[in-house]
Amino acid sequence: MSDDLILGMAGSGGDGVVSAGESLLAAASSEGYHAMMTKSFGSQIRGGESSCRVRVSCRRILNPGGVLDVAVALNWEDFFRFGAELPLGSSTLVIHEEKAGPPPETPATRPLSRALIFSVPITEMAKKAAGTDKAKTSVVLGLVSGWLGIPKEALLRGLKKKFGGKGQGLFEANERALASGFEYAQTHPLAEPRVLSRPAAATGPKLLCDGNDMCAAGAIFSGVEFFGGYPITPSTEVMQILSRELLQHGGVVLQAEDEISGIGAALGASYAGRKSMTATSGPGMSLKTEILGLATIAELPLVILNVQRGGPSTGIPTKPEQADLFQAAFSAHGDVVRPVLAPTTVADTFSTTVEAFNLAERYQTPVIILSDQEIAQRKETVDLIDTSRFTLERRLVPTGAELDGYQRFRLTESGISPLSHPGMAGGNYLGAGIEHNEHGDPTASGAMHERMNEKRFKKLEPLKQRKDLFEVLGNGNAPYALVSWGSTAGVTREAFELARARGLDVKLFVPTLVYPVAEQVYQDFFASVRAGLVVELSYQGQLYRILRMFVDVPKGVIPFARSGANPFQPTEVLEKLTELTRAES
Amino acid sequence: MDLEAKPAPNRTPLQPKDYKSDLKPIWCPGCGDFGVLQALYRALSAIGREPHEIAFISGIGCSSRIPGYTTAYGFNSVHGRALPIAQGVKLARPELLVVVAGGDGDGFSIGGGHVAHAIRRNIDLTYLVMDNQVYGLTKGQLSPTAPKGLHTVTSPFGSLEEPINPLLYVLAYGAGFVAQATPADMPGMAALIEEALRYPGFSFVNIQSPCVTFGEEEQQLRAHKAKMKPLASLGHDAANQLAALDLARAYGKELYTGVFYRNPAPPPTYDALVQARQAELIKTRRPRERALDAYLQK
Amino acid sequence: MTATKGIEFGRLTLRDGLDLAISIEEEARDRYRDFAEQLTLHRTVEAANFFSRMARIEEIHRSRLAERRQALFPGEVSREIRAQVFDVEAPEFDAVRVFMSVEQALKTALAAEEKAYDFFARAIPQLENAEVRALFTELRDEEVEHQALVKQEMARLSGDPSANAEAYGDDPVAQ
Repeated sequence: MSDDLILGMAGSGGDGVVSAGESLLAAASSEGYHAMMTKSFGSQIRGGESSCRVRVSCRRILNPGGVLDVAVALNWEDFFRFGAELPLGSSTLVIHEEKAGPPPETPATRPLSRALIFSVPITEMAKKAAGTDKAKTSVVLGLVSGWLGIPKEALLRGLKKKFGGKGQGLFEANERALASGFEYAQTHPLAEPRVLSRPAAATGPKLLCDGNDMCAAGAIFSGVEFFGGYPITPSTEVMQILSRELLQHGGVVLQAEDEISGIGAALGASYAGRKSMTATSGPGMSLKTEILGLATIAELPLVILNVQRGGPSTGIPTKPEQADLFQAAFSAHGDVVRPVLAPTTVADTFSTTVEAFNLAERYQTPVIILSDQEIAQRKETVDLIDTSRFTLERRLVPTGAELDGYQRFRLTESGISPLSHPGMAGGNYLGAGIEHNEHGDPTASGAMHERMNEKRFKKLEPLKQRKDLFEVLGNGNAPYALVSWGSTAGVTREAFELARARGLDVKLFVPTLVYPVAEQVYQDFFASVRAGLVVELSYQGQLYRILRMFVDVPKGVIPFARSGANPFQPTEVLEKLTELTRAES
Repeated sequence: MDLEAKPAPNRTPLQPKDYKSDLKPIWCPGCGDFGVLQALYRALSAIGREPHEIAFISGIGCSSRIPGYTTAYGFNSVHGRALPIAQGVKLARPELLVVVAGGDGDGFSIGGGHVAHAIRRNIDLTYLVMDNQVYGLTKGQLSPTAPKGLHTVTSPFGSLEEPINPLLYVLAYGAGFVAQATPADMPGMAALIEEALRYPGFSFVNIQSPCVTFGEEEQQLRAHKAKMKPLASLGHDAANQLAALDLARAYGKELYTGVFYRNPAPPPTYDALVQARQAELIKTRRPRERALDAYLQK
Repeated sequence: MTATKGIEFGRLTLRDGLDLAISIEEEARDRYRDFAEQLTLHRTVEAANFFSRMARIEEIHRSRLAERRQALFPGEVSREIRAQVFDVEAPEFDAVRVFMSVEQALKTALAAEEKAYDFFARAIPQLENAEVRALFTELRDEEVEHQALVKQEMARLSGDPSANAEAYGDDPVAQ
């Protein structure tokens, strides 16, 4: 009996591998398990190789995990296209289509145990039960139900959702296919049972969603009134959701003609006094850079979601990477600073989005939400979020007295000057990308330019004191440290737990606020540290480099970084950390 | 759209000078844009919207400085992106009067990609282009409307390119109101700007506004006065789109002034259609606080 | 181009005629002030000073007419006729150039006065009200006086070396 199971399945797009994964995900979730699913495909729009990984657990899941407990291969050619995304090990239970033959001898299949490889006449069963070999994955779901103990009824609900509306007979056919798979499992029991334990007492209703869903929900909750954007993988879902959802709240979604127009329209809406956002990925961020700078000098609130993908340029659109941090922190010419927040889980994408809107409004600045493809498109169960703990902020508007001789960019103590908008009597001002004096008139004066830069930087200083934007776990005096951000934090959190279980005196640091760098918070954390790792998915180790710019990072803290599309595993991080502590002592 | 908001009681009607700000224009003395500014003050006062209800968006260039010289809310943004930003403003607050301005380079070179989409969306705003066939702010380079053969600092041997025809471009994309003006006829220009502002939908006025520093002699106002031909005097019917397209082809050779095309049956604007949808969907909306309910597993 | 818009000269009353005349002077005053500001900003100081003086002169004309109107029609609200006046006595807005000489500025003023003369001269036959006709005749004749003054100034100034300021000035600067 195990309480955690990772299943990976691969075939071609026409097989419905991903839909089957979704049915499994939904079933597990409705049974009270924690569940998480990632997908991966080839570059064809449809019909290319297709795979999914579903992790089902009685415990909270921190990351998609590593070696598969169960591998389902509808054919080997497609399966191997996914390489290290579907790693096989000595205890992997392999279910393969009989016609595909046994797993070929390759380095990837070497660890497999013969006894755990099952050749199943999936296609034949499908034809017999459903009249078509396309019902393969329904058979697989039946096998999964029989061998792993996921209740049939739960899986059937998923099938109902997929086939229900598509004509009578289709659902019934697949229902029969599932039944035949289930029966096969009963008549061919596993030598060592792999049934998943039941989860603890009913945990109550949960949410089932991915990071993009949570960003959209967070935006709606925050009161977003305008979205301007352009389709780009892997962020497009946010625009699509808001297109459906925002009108009913009196908001507007504009799919613009290009990335620049998208952020331009969003900035215009913010100038007009509305809470506003745009969403994109790396290539779009590059295009939007100029207007990002405009938003900074015009001191206008704006939320920009960047769902990072492999770069540079077109890069790898469907895989995660964390290499846009330099761009998020520094891009746009001139001296610019803007808050950059990085969600680390699907769940905290909601709270991070709410925080982003609050910071944008309070500090009258663009705020970048730096998500990544894994979090954005990883669908999982999320505990109910108590939204009563959030407060929502709106920009500071000028009062009656302040409208008399209104100075839009008044040099205040905090650096924040009240912000009017068209339609507000008395608040007329000239917004511009050109440097300006307090009234907003263009200036070329070096002295005024210095003071305005100071205003724009100073107003963000309080952010560096926000301890609540950092997660610190473990013994405060620990000599060893793990630092990580974004989706990699999920892997590092698990590595942290494993390390502590091994007796290593290590502490963990996960920033949500990745820029500006909260120097003192880091200094306090590093005070006791002799050695450690900054774990992230970028060739240059971008967070590590940025920390070195602003903080005295102990010499023994080194980057553990590599290019995206090759996520870390908790065991890797653990091994690296252990090696480090041994070398150090 | 009810353009003429009623003035507050005891409020005297707004005069052109109520739209004039204290900022001194940096334009060279004699610049055509001074004329445009005067005409704009008159047009705005004829319409009578309060300055705080007007949003004036521009790009980058000499002519793009114009919002700062009015008392409206201004936004002097980045090169070529005035139209997207203005559309954001109008959609966010449809009750505002939204005016967009820029030069021929800002609008038809770097900004060229945005023009077609602003037109086909038919968002209710007015786009004024100050067309002087040169890049003035950066010292006299070739612009997209410069005639072939023109010698400039970036075409020292004469331009090899045919110019873009802004009138034909805008007409071809189906804009509902297209006109051309010159400060050589101030009353005419003021009237055209006013008419464009009143038109319910995307409206466009191409203004031949000479650059006295880098422009050629043939491009100056004196030449305009000799050359200009009011479309009305040709017997042109502004409801005839094909005739308008035909006349627009003469851009660069003839200086036709007046309304090329005015759609006799303006379709509903994008912003009006969005508002109608909002009104419908608001009836069955789920409160924002319940946004996460969409993800409750079934 | 000198013009008025929508003014029916045949129907002008004396009060209207005075309002029109006041608007004309006001327009000229504001235009000269504008010119003075522009030229000050562009460091063309002598021409700027000249235009400032012209603005003051126009203001004197305007206020004299305004006093007359106040005396004849006390408390009566004037029709906002300014929007119907287009560069009658005001020099056209493109009549200035950076580095222009005082001589060129004088020529600008002279052309404006001649324009104004033509305006009044052409309007007179259209006027039906005798008092208005008398007013416009007076204004027309004043223009002749103004022109004479300007011509005198110009005669004093011929051969002014600052006429070549353009040649000495720096090249334009890209922004």
